[in-house]
Amino acid sequence: MNGLARMWTVASLELRQRVRGAAWYVLLGVFVLLVLVVTVFTTIATRNTDAPGAVLYSLIVYFVLLLGTLVTPALSGNAINGDRENGTLATTQVTLVTTPQLVIGKFLAAWITALGFLAAALPFLLFALVLGGASADTAFVSILVLAAELGVVAAVGVGVSGLIRRPLFSVVTTYLVVALLSIGSLIAFGLGGMVAQREVTVSYEIIDWEASGDEIDPDTGMPVDPVCETVVSSYSVPRFDSVWWTLAANPYVLLADAAPTHFDRHGNPDDLFGTLKLGVRQAQLPPDVDSGWSECDQAYPVDDQPTPREVIDSTVPSWAVGLGIHAALGLGLLAGAISRTRAPARRLAAGSRIA
Amino acid sequence: MSDAAPSPADIRVTDVARSFGDVHAVRSITFEARPGEVTGLVGPNGSGKTTLLLMLATLLVPDRGEIRVGGLDPVTRPAEVRRLLGWMPDVLGSWPNLTVRRSLELTARLYDLPRPAAAARAAELISLVDLGELADRPTRVLSRGQKQRLSLARALVHDPRVLLLDEPASGLDPGARVALRVLLRRLAAEGRTILVSSHVLSELDELADRAVFLEAGSTVSEERVAAARSTERGWRIRALDATALRRALVAAGVDEARIASDPQGLVVPIAGEADAAGLLASLVTAGVEVVSFAPAVGDLEHTFLDLSADGEGAR
Repeated sequence: MNGLARMWTVASLELRQRVRGAAWYVLLGVFVLLVLVVTVFTTIATRNTDAPGAVLYSLIVYFVLLLGTLVTPALSGNAINGDRENGTLATTQVTLVTTPQLVIGKFLAAWITALGFLAAALPFLLFALVLGGASADTAFVSILVLAAELGVVAAVGVGVSGLIRRPLFSVVTTYLVVALLSIGSLIAFGLGGMVAQREVTVSYEIIDWEASGDEIDPDTGMPVDPVCETVVSSYSVPRFDSVWWTLAANPYVLLADAAPTHFDRHGNPDDLFGTLKLGVRQAQLPPDVDSGWSECDQAYPVDDQPTPREVIDSTVPSWAVGLGIHAALGLGLLAGAISRTRAPARRLAAGSRIA
Repeated sequence: MSDAAPSPADIRVTDVARSFGDVHAVRSITFEARPGEVTGLVGPNGSGKTTLLLMLATLLVPDRGEIRVGGLDPVTRPAEVRRLLGWMPDVLGSWPNLTVRRSLELTARLYDLPRPAAAARAAELISLVDLGELADRPTRVLSRGQKQRLSLARALVHDPRVLLLDEPASGLDPGARVALRVLLRRLAAEGRTILVSSHVLSELDELADRAVFLEAGSTVSEERVAAARSTERGWRIRALDATALRRALVAAGVDEARIASDPQGLVVPIAGEADAAGLLASLVTAGVEVVSFAPAVGDLEHTFLDLSADGEGAR
């Protein structure tokens, strides 16, 4: 009980000290303004679609994720080493608060701060729901996953700040981790698919019209005595199906993959989550490589592209794995910070003062 | 205060050493500090005072030796030691955006005080360290001396039995210094153990019951301290008639070349208090109207300076 009270005291200390201030409210104001602009334009752009609310809702959620992952590192990435520099860490450590309580309290404060963006976007999310088209389950799941992802960034920031001595470096490192997950995974996916590309040879038959004589079968419009020519061509296709998993830990993909998808009357996903999810799931399917055809035999490959629903149903959801990776990353860094911050300290990094 | 404590000394340090890489901050420190006393920790910069206090404050593990605070080992039972220990660091950290009152309240909350008790304690401490006018201002507006007082208040939040103060007087104006001295004497009289490190030796002279001298990470032996105390030192003598005083001094056998003069009187080297008493008697007998007769530098300062000169010589 005392432990929880101390943890909360650390969190409220942190919120009052580090986060709350004029700059924070200005930032929040700018954010609300941006969301407002996005809402207005999206509403106008999607007024004739089936589910305008669904598109708007997913767009706002992504916007909160983007802003949250951009701002949280700056606020959480110096939670521990910043206190060390200010000389307030040691005076906190000689109180009854234990190191795990201290670190988790700071993490809670960072998370709450990031959730502030979500709270500020709430009126717009409600507006999107009222607009119609957004499904309750998608709305609910995406908010949960968004909150979890913001927690992961907060945990990474606080954890790194306990492991790296210099506040500037730890903030930068936190940004690099976020960039690695958001952009690095995309680059890995693209490059990996290109590297794993495979040579495909396709042979197909075409009619040599010059050599086939002039007699045309009036029923088919083909020469009566066709001379066939076989053409062999080879090209390479990227094999995204062997690297699709690199996107599992991408926060944007993860969010899309976790949210339940609903389809419009053409069978297409009705929101941004569904569109992204479909794209990523399609990458799991091997490319269609042996589609030879013949003009002579009138044998064309049957074009039976699977519908989006079939694609999504037949492929593997990866969000749980991604979320697991994120949770392990966040918890691991927090655990590292706890063990490095523990007092009495046995080892100190070179050149550091503990007070 | 628990008089039933098994050990009469609340702080007991035995042959403690701590190094940082190849820097031996503390080589071998041994001393005790007892309840009801103010123990001074005296030593030049880099003599290991702050490192020692960090080890006592449950923040650093010693490489060697044994530390007991209230009979408990800070390494294995830090939580219990923290309950009875108040520490005021030499680095003045404060949460710049929090008010003085809020800082103290939240510190009290971290010592498990319930909310109303924390608020009451904060108010009490604010008046104790005389920060009333600044109580609801953010701590970033505080001057160095005011931060120093806030830091002291924070160390007292949970009414600790043992107080560790690292340079508490630096940055304080004379009024605040006197207030600090009175406060610490009162806290000691209540049965607390107080360990103070300071460079302001004249201050410690009036405050500390005992002193522990540190040099290059080691405690200076009692014999060396005793020897340093009895070496020749300057005594400042003032009389109504300075010329008569000088004449009487020479007549009493003082080497005239070694009599220095400063605005407050004449400074004469004398070895030991017995010689001083003898000289005073002969001056009075000679009819000199002596107004003041006292060591030119305080006891601690003299010992400190003599020890450091000694150390230089030994090197």
